Amino acid sequence: MILIHCPYCDEKRAEIEFAYAGEAHISRPVDPSTYGDEEWERYLFIRANPKGRHHERWRHIHGCGRFFNAVRDTVTDKFETTYKAGEPRK
Amino acid sequence: MSGFRLPTGGRVDRSRPVRFSFDGVSYTGFAGDTLASALLANGVMLFGRSFKYHRPRGLLAAGSEEPNALVSVDRGPGRFTPNLRATNVEVHEGLKAVSQNRWPSLKTDFGAINDRLGMFFPAGFYNKTFMWPRSFWDKLYEPAIRKIAGLGDAPTEDDPDQYAATHAHCDLLIIGAGPAGIDAALEAAGTNRRVTVIDEQDEAGGSALADPSLWQWLERSMKALNDAPNVTILTRTTAFGYYHDNFIGAVQRLTDHLPDDGDAPREKLWRIRAGEVILAQGAIERPLVFAGNDTPGVMLSSAAKTFANRYGVAVGKSVALMATHDSGWHDVFALAKAGVGIAAIIDVRDTVDADLLKQAADLRITVKLSHSVIGVSGRYGVKTIEIAHNDGTGIRSIACDALLMAGGWTPSVHLWSHSKGTLKWCDDIGAYVPDQPNENVRCVGACAGACNFGQGAVIDVLPTPMDQSRIKAFVDFQNDVTAKDIKLAVREGFRSIEHIKRYTTNGMATDQGKTSNLNGLQIASTALAKPITDIGLTTFRPPYTPQTFGALAGHAKGALFQATRTTNIDSWAEEHSAVFELVAQWRRARYFPKAGEDMHAAVNRECVAVRSSVGIFDASTLGKIEVVGPDAAEFLNRMYTNPWKALEPGRCRYGLLLKEDGFITDDGVSARLAPDRFHLTTTTGGAARVLNMMEDYLQTEWPDLNVWLTSTTEQYAVIALQGPNARKLLEPLVEGIDLSAEAFPHMAIREGAICGIPTRLFRVSFTGELGFEINVPTAYGRALWERIMAEGDRYDITPYGTETMHVLRAEKGFIIVGQDTDGTVTPYDASLDWAVGKKKLDFVGKRSLARPDIVAAGRKQLVGLLTDDPNVVLEEGAQIVADPNQPIPMKMIGHVTSSYWSATLGRSIAMALVAGGQDKMGETLHIPMPGKTHTAKISGMVFYDPQGARLNV
Amino acid sequence: MSDLLTRAEPVPTAPFAADGVTISLAPPMARYSLRARQGQALETLLGVKVPKKIGATEGGIACLGPDEWLMRAPAGTSIPMAAGLAIAVTDVSERSICLCVEGPRAAQLIMSGCPQDLELFPVGKATRTIFETVEIILIRNSNDQFHIEVWRSFSSWLWTALTTTASH
Ligand SMILES: [Zn+2]
Repeated sequence: MILIHCPYCDEKRAEIEFAYAGEAHISRPVDPSTYGDEEWERYLFIRANPKGRHHERWRHIHGCGRFFNAVRDTVTDKFETTYKAGEPRK
Repeated sequence: MSGFRLPTGGRVDRSRPVRFSFDGVSYTGFAGDTLASALLANGVMLFGRSFKYHRPRGLLAAGSEEPNALVSVDRGPGRFTPNLRATNVEVHEGLKAVSQNRWPSLKTDFGAINDRLGMFFPAGFYNKTFMWPRSFWDKLYEPAIRKIAGLGDAPTEDDPDQYAATHAHCDLLIIGAGPAGIDAALEAAGTNRRVTVIDEQDEAGGSALADPSLWQWLERSMKALNDAPNVTILTRTTAFGYYHDNFIGAVQRLTDHLPDDGDAPREKLWRIRAGEVILAQGAIERPLVFAGNDTPGVMLSSAAKTFANRYGVAVGKSVALMATHDSGWHDVFALAKAGVGIAAIIDVRDTVDADLLKQAADLRITVKLSHSVIGVSGRYGVKTIEIAHNDGTGIRSIACDALLMAGGWTPSVHLWSHSKGTLKWCDDIGAYVPDQPNENVRCVGACAGACNFGQGAVIDVLPTPMDQSRIKAFVDFQNDVTAKDIKLAVREGFRSIEHIKRYTTNGMATDQGKTSNLNGLQIASTALAKPITDIGLTTFRPPYTPQTFGALAGHAKGALFQATRTTNIDSWAEEHSAVFELVAQWRRARYFPKAGEDMHAAVNRECVAVRSSVGIFDASTLGKIEVVGPDAAEFLNRMYTNPWKALEPGRCRYGLLLKEDGFITDDGVSARLAPDRFHLTTTTGGAARVLNMMEDYLQTEWPDLNVWLTSTTEQYAVIALQGPNARKLLEPLVEGIDLSAEAFPHMAIREGAICGIPTRLFRVSFTGELGFEINVPTAYGRALWERIMAEGDRYDITPYGTETMHVLRAEKGFIIVGQDTDGTVTPYDASLDWAVGKKKLDFVGKRSLARPDIVAAGRKQLVGLLTDDPNVVLEEGAQIVADPNQPIPMKMIGHVTSSYWSATLGRSIAMALVAGGQDKMGETLHIPMPGKTHTAKISGMVFYDPQGARLNV
Repeated sequence: MSDLLTRAEPVPTAPFAADGVTISLAPPMARYSLRARQGQALETLLGVKVPKKIGATEGGIACLGPDEWLMRAPAGTSIPMAAGLAIAVTDVSERSICLCVEGPRAAQLIMSGCPQDLELFPVGKATRTIFETVEIILIRNSNDQFHIEVWRSFSSWLWTALTTTASH
């Protein structure tokens, strides 16, 4: 069970307080109707799934309730950093 | 009969004899004995049968690395534990242990025929032989293999024991309380660090327990540690796994060593988070590989020393040593001093330290250098050994009743490897040692490679003049893997050690290669003619030693398996004979049978009661979310398919929620209480998911909106009153709300009081009847329910459950998300076009409703289905075909999603997802069910009161 | 007329006592979920001080998240509902019950199922967390006394889990 640093609580907390929420920095278009089918498909379904550094979202669901971003290495399962939602990609 | 109790010595309490049984025979040992030491003291050499060949096996080791002496302990019904190592089982009065892997008895074992047929059971035998024909597998091979293979018997009864669990935190966790671990703990004692020391044995001390010269030091040290307020010591506790961020799983055995278990928990699972970990797990002595090395009585040299010094038991009257390492010499000297007869020391090396030779001479021990054991005679115990010079000459026999092996030392790096620390090869000791850590962890003592046990030679297989292809020289005792098997695997083309491991099973199962790993690597290295460091290393996996499922499950069984959520009214339902069903984690009343009624009869009665007078239903489990803030309407408008901004306070609206992919994920009726306050409802099972989804959009996509979401599911008990008499029943109970049709129309909400309690009163209907849903603070749910029941007596008020609710809604064609939809159904597929705001520029899922696949023809669409025979109730989930005479496999064009007997209509009704269904109204479809293919016609989904006349009253 | 309807609680109203720890149902209280972008806005609305740091408590108000506070007050306490303001006040008085866990073994008992390190959990701290699979809000009132807020439907499971473990 990993420890995850919540950037809002500013504490490392046990993994079971958190929920994973998929790849980070995929923002919903302001007006989806302007997206063509392929563009919309990319937004909806296509994910990077890298081996190594992965930008992803977590929610401190059984804590402060906030969604936040993280960089985790998918090979070592180690977190490089976590940061608040809305902050630029790290 | 070879082993015996020495007249003195050991740490056992000779004043406390203990009676126990093994395979039904009664024996006596002493408090402090293990099953292994006590049986050995009674002359027992035969402990088990091997996994594949069913060869007789004795003890190899004295600790948890023991691969052979697996026993089952029977503590009564349901308390049968297989695969315990006899070296770890503490004897106590009344202990009942039995051997495994034999039938009918340990001495006479039918499966031993495998051993005679050994030439037919080479590596990969199972893979090769049982591949064909397929049909033989289920009927012949598998049952036969199960009968003769496998380790131990799984118990069949429920486990009656209790198990405890806890989280724990410390700054320093020391695993292993041998000399190195104790030293580390002493260093940390008295500091401000929280220190936890765990050790798998009943007593701390590790290897010091087998060295009387250290006992004074041990006693002093343990006193210091016990006195240190910052140190916690857990014995009988096995660290079985090392996980991320210094999270260690450990099981503490609490009662198995006691004659009377009482009611206390049997074991306790420790989930330990440590700042720093020190691994002091010691090292395991390596067996040597030669013909007959698995004969009972052939064991590790260090084990013999442990049996003598710790338990006061000699492993034989005349003991020989086969050594490639100095440590064996020291062990034998200790045995000799303890009064054990030494037959000879055989060492493969040409020269050894002069001091060893001198000590041997002083003790008058025969020494044969440059020699190896090439054979062992005696099937159930060593009788003689054959030795030869390394050049193959000078073969001669030596009589002895035990043969010790000293093959050098393998640091125990199991937990280090779990933690993903890297290993490096150390030529000096011929083993892998810890290199770079992956966590805040370090190794100390022998597990770090600091084995101060002298010099040794590393040899894969002892020299022998015999034909190596005809002898059984075991590498992995537990999995019955021989040197020959590993060589065969290499000949057959396996190059990676991971593949060799799986093909031969070397180092697998519960043993995880504790005694076999290094010898296996050495043999593969020789066979592949590659340096050992080039062939890789297999992965050590948790658990370090087998643990019980009970310990891992903790108290999560029975009532504590998981939380069963109940409403405030649940206790009333239970007292009134409700039959329950689980919906998500909730326990819900399914129906309320009266005496003699089955479900069918009860549901029919409940349905008719609602349609003819009034029914009462506990709807408390519906998810509720309070949406509050100036942007509340804007937020809901973006989330739901339909428009929300124009909804007036006091009115309700059916909301349909899609995921961004356009598929229905939830629905529910929601009310606007004030311009900036909404009371949402969700499905029972969808409550948490919907709130999470809404929080996601709110926090990450639209953080500028001033609106907040609060789950209020449990703030309110919800009582649904449904039926033509609902209003009349409610009127006298309600204060401050005009219930008249004009003042309080369908799909409206009013706030007021009922029986003096504040209420949010919804006028809504999931039944098609005049209906109300009364929300009151949860604690008053049951009391209000009982008041309404009493008031409703004059209307024959009828409590109904979820089954009746399902029938009533199906008669009206209302869908249940998750039953009539499956995550691939759009609003159009479900004929819910009316709930999609056509003028809305955007909402979650809107763009996807224009995806090519979503607008394509032939999608599965939700339709009604009326069987030609009105008495046939289709199976939910039944597949639908257009032509029942087509060849198998038929093309399935859909399936039944909901199907019930409708007492109101006097016939069956169903809903189904059918490809292109909305364009097939009136067409006949076929539903093959066991025994008969039924026919049904596609219809609309509203079977009852299509005009909604009953609602608008 | 309200005295005609009686409350029904999901756990026994009699305390459970075991060696070194007692578990009891706290009396009913008023609870409000308070949401705003800044604690300042709530201070203006309520006229009381509001803790600004996540995990802190002050005068019965706990800061649970960057925009979330839980106010606990004597039963019947009512507060302004902040109509029209960028503040959300929601009555959650009956959503949860409060178990009071008290005694020298209180922290040890809670750690049986909760991953928080309670040896380092200061008095006055409050946080949402988890006990095995059940979400709770944990508040430390004193060294030996904790309040556990738990949603009603989960509370009987939690009661059984705590009392079973306490009796070991
Ligand atoms: Zn947090």
